[in-house]
Amino acid sequence: MRAFALLAALALSPPAFAQAIVTSPAPGRVAVTVYRNGDRGLEPMNLGWLGGYALVSETRRVRLPAGESELRFEGVTAGIVPQSAIVTGLGEAVIEKNRDARLLSPGALLDASLGERVHLRRTSKATGAVREQEAVVRATSDGVVLQTADGIEALRCSGLPETVTARQLPQGLSAKPTLSVRVRSPEPVERDVTLSYISNNFDWQADYIAELSPAGDSISLFAWMTLANGDQTGLADAQTQAVAGKLNRERVWVNPGEARGISIQCWPRGTTSDLPLEEAIVVTGSRIAAAAPPPPPPPPAAERGGGDEMFALKAEEERLGDVRLYRIPETVTVAGKSQKQVAMIKQPAVRIESILRLRPVTGAFEMPLERVLTTRNLSAQGLGLPLPAGKVALFGRRDGHRILLGEGSIDDYAVGEKVQIPVATATGVLARQSMFRREGANLPPGYELVLTNDLSRPQTVEVEFPLEAKPMDGRTLVKRDGWKLWRVILPANGKATFKWHI
Amino acid sequence: MRNLLLLCTALACAAPLFAQPAVPAPGQTAQGDVAVTIYNNDRALIEDKRMLDLPAGRSRQEFRDVSAQIQPETVTLNGRGIGVVEQNFDFDLLSPSALIQNAVGQEVTLVRVNPASGAEVRERARILAANGGVVMQIGDRIEVLRDDGLPARVIFDGVPPSLRARPTLSVTLQSDGGGRRPVTLTYLTPGLGWAADYVALFDEANGRMDVQGWVTLTNNSGTPYVNANTLLVAGAVGQANPYQRPYYGGGYPPPPPPPPPMPGRTIDRSGTETAARERLGDFYLYPLPERTTIADKQTKQVSFLDVQNTPASRGYEFNNGWMTTSDQPISATTVLRFSSSRNQGLGDALPAGTIRVYQRDARGNPQFVGEHRIGHTPMGSDIGLATGQAFDVKVRPVVEERTKLSADRWRTKMRYTLTNASPKPVTVDLFQSGLWGDTRIVEESMKSARPNADQVKWGVPIPANGEATVTATFDSRY
Repeated sequence: MRAFALLAALALSPPAFAQAIVTSPAPGRVAVTVYRNGDRGLEPMNLGWLGGYALVSETRRVRLPAGESELRFEGVTAGIVPQSAIVTGLGEAVIEKNRDARLLSPGALLDASLGERVHLRRTSKATGAVREQEAVVRATSDGVVLQTADGIEALRCSGLPETVTARQLPQGLSAKPTLSVRVRSPEPVERDVTLSYISNNFDWQADYIAELSPAGDSISLFAWMTLANGDQTGLADAQTQAVAGKLNRERVWVNPGEARGISIQCWPRGTTSDLPLEEAIVVTGSRIAAAAPPPPPPPPAAERGGGDEMFALKAEEERLGDVRLYRIPETVTVAGKSQKQVAMIKQPAVRIESILRLRPVTGAFEMPLERVLTTRNLSAQGLGLPLPAGKVALFGRRDGHRILLGEGSIDDYAVGEKVQIPVATATGVLARQSMFRREGANLPPGYELVLTNDLSRPQTVEVEFPLEAKPMDGRTLVKRDGWKLWRVILPANGKATFKWHI
Repeated sequence: MRNLLLLCTALACAAPLFAQPAVPAPGQTAQGDVAVTIYNNDRALIEDKRMLDLPAGRSRQEFRDVSAQIQPETVTLNGRGIGVVEQNFDFDLLSPSALIQNAVGQEVTLVRVNPASGAEVRERARILAANGGVVMQIGDRIEVLRDDGLPARVIFDGVPPSLRARPTLSVTLQSDGGGRRPVTLTYLTPGLGWAADYVALFDEANGRMDVQGWVTLTNNSGTPYVNANTLLVAGAVGQANPYQRPYYGGGYPPPPPPPPPMPGRTIDRSGTETAARERLGDFYLYPLPERTTIADKQTKQVSFLDVQNTPASRGYEFNNGWMTTSDQPISATTVLRFSSSRNQGLGDALPAGTIRVYQRDARGNPQFVGEHRIGHTPMGSDIGLATGQAFDVKVRPVVEERTKLSADRWRTKMRYTLTNASPKPVTVDLFQSGLWGDTRIVEESMKSARPNADQVKWGVPIPANGEATVTATFDSRY
């Protein structure tokens, strides 16, 4: 028996492989720059399906033998865009870069055994006796056909427990898609190699926490840089950055790797009764489906941060071409399937104006007004720094406790811009418009807009009419940014009226 | 003794098995000297020179290790002293149900296994029909196979010769003599394609750029090509390919959705220079420098371009698609401008692909700042790549006034406020589109150009940390 095993080993040993394989199992140092999903707009991040991306740069120490070798990079993220991979530090030695997506799977194992001798193992359900015999795989496409000493048989069509076992792994199959470079070096070398690539399934945003002062004319503004990594691979002790701004990306197809199960199909199995057969034959010829994404981690507690806390770590901002780079000054671990927050902005006193806004349409309506915080992004107002897009939570204080007053989102704001943060819908200030007939033949109707305030404080209201609007009763409107503006201070518990027509 | 017996039977039975048309051992291939020519549109021409051992007269030859997606109608076979009688592409696959269909009317061996004792009973059975279930005759009984649900092995005496494990190309040849001789097999196959990928490192302070170009070829044809001489053709032959099957799925996030429309063009001016590359007809050729094995499901990249210090500059564009008011200032598009000219440029034709642009951050590490796809770009072209949107440069178009002059004449006064929050002056190419042919400018605060009937363009300088305003009044039909 031993003699046979030896013979088989000789017959089946792979041909000599000229190329040495060098595996770099994991990066030494990592830097990661996270980019926001530009198409997300003001929507929140979906942790199960992150649409942003990251630039990952890894430094790896490798030893290469003289001659030709294949350097395999393991431990890269699953979302790697292989076309974007850049390998530096090997100079002229690089012949080509490869990425192999043929994966080891039951189907691939059996396919590689086509025409090969395998072991067929049958176990008796009655006695537990195991019987092994030689078989040759004759077909694997639609069901498995084997040739044994007895003749031709189909695998798992007899109702007996049976399986085939292979002697060795086929070449060129790996557990995950593998990135490698083919290099040629006249002598053995030891080098630091940098591998940079773009990886999908990352995202980030700014999360602003604003607290309204008791007087209501300023806020303290704090922002988290919220990074999310949707990849299984974590990046340990990484130099971490995030880029604010919108960059162009192209759609690129990445082969996710081909993995197949074994296809078991038998002949027609009709019977004279409807008794179920003792075993169900399941066709398993399918691409390996992705595991369902794990439930998103709980959202970060919004209670953290605010005005008074101290932050030992704060991201630093710098200009990068036409976008902004925020750098975490220390290395941090961006773990796989996780979200991370680091302070990025802290402005203790930003002067704001809280106004109510309305854009009336023609016709009769009744609607509440929108509360908007406005300011200008200038240092004179206590701001004057780029504000990356993100979510805003507005808090106030009542009896020393913080309460949520409103929530909204902002887009990217450059320095000097007028900042508007819609935070809530006012409930006590209402707008009601009715139509009336104007004196004169064939004139279009007029509209009477009535604003009411049930608050015990005066409220500033900005009503923006369309350009065609014409005020009545000798009132005037001023043009602003393509609208006709009526700015009015509603008295406490009072009302104001405006008549207009088109 | 029992072991020895087992060994003998195993060896004895193994011998006839391998008398069948053999399947190669792993790592071996039936391919000969392979040359692969890959086009951009998921198409490749494979030329495979094999040594065949031919008997004199007619013989049938099977060709293994051809592309799994071979287009059999495109196969040609050439060789000295041979003539093709017929070519066949057999795709009747060997499977359990094909076996039983082919066994109708014939006898098979049935091994019944007693589930309680494990005892086996062997019988010969004649298959009468295999429709919905297998009806067979055993002696004088008619029975349905495994009707009782009990285990029963069906053993066929052999495999019908027409059934194959995989689709197989076979050619019947007429040879004028026996012996080994080279024959050349050529065919077309989908599943192989290529594109270029460029890495551009932009040095904004010095107005220079380093560009590396890689050809990226992909093999999804189901077959490896061993030690192949590879040639890439920058161009698409024929029409769109019916075999193309884009697939987005698996356990990975989908590719990002298409970016919002930016100024779509990338070539500002098409070049007229001829690059110093090999050419065939309309196409540039990119031969790989050495033979390589293109494994199945592999993406392979080989360098083809490395240019240092080519001049490059950054510009800004903003296009207002129609005379409308924007609620918010909108970021201008960042455009990277460079040339593919011999003089002050990359000095090469650029095959279609994606250019990824990097810039160094304050610590000197390259950071990604956007990408854009280009089409096949002749040498000598001026290229403008929209890589992203500028954080600090914004434009706000506002309709100031709209007056009806007559039933079909309108006058629209536009104001464009351009802001620059960066510490250096910039110039924005401001476009107003949607003018059709019959819109005139009545008055404007700054002289415009009319690059085409639909657009006007102003080159607006904005001071550092400053603002600029352009006003214009349009006389239009709507």
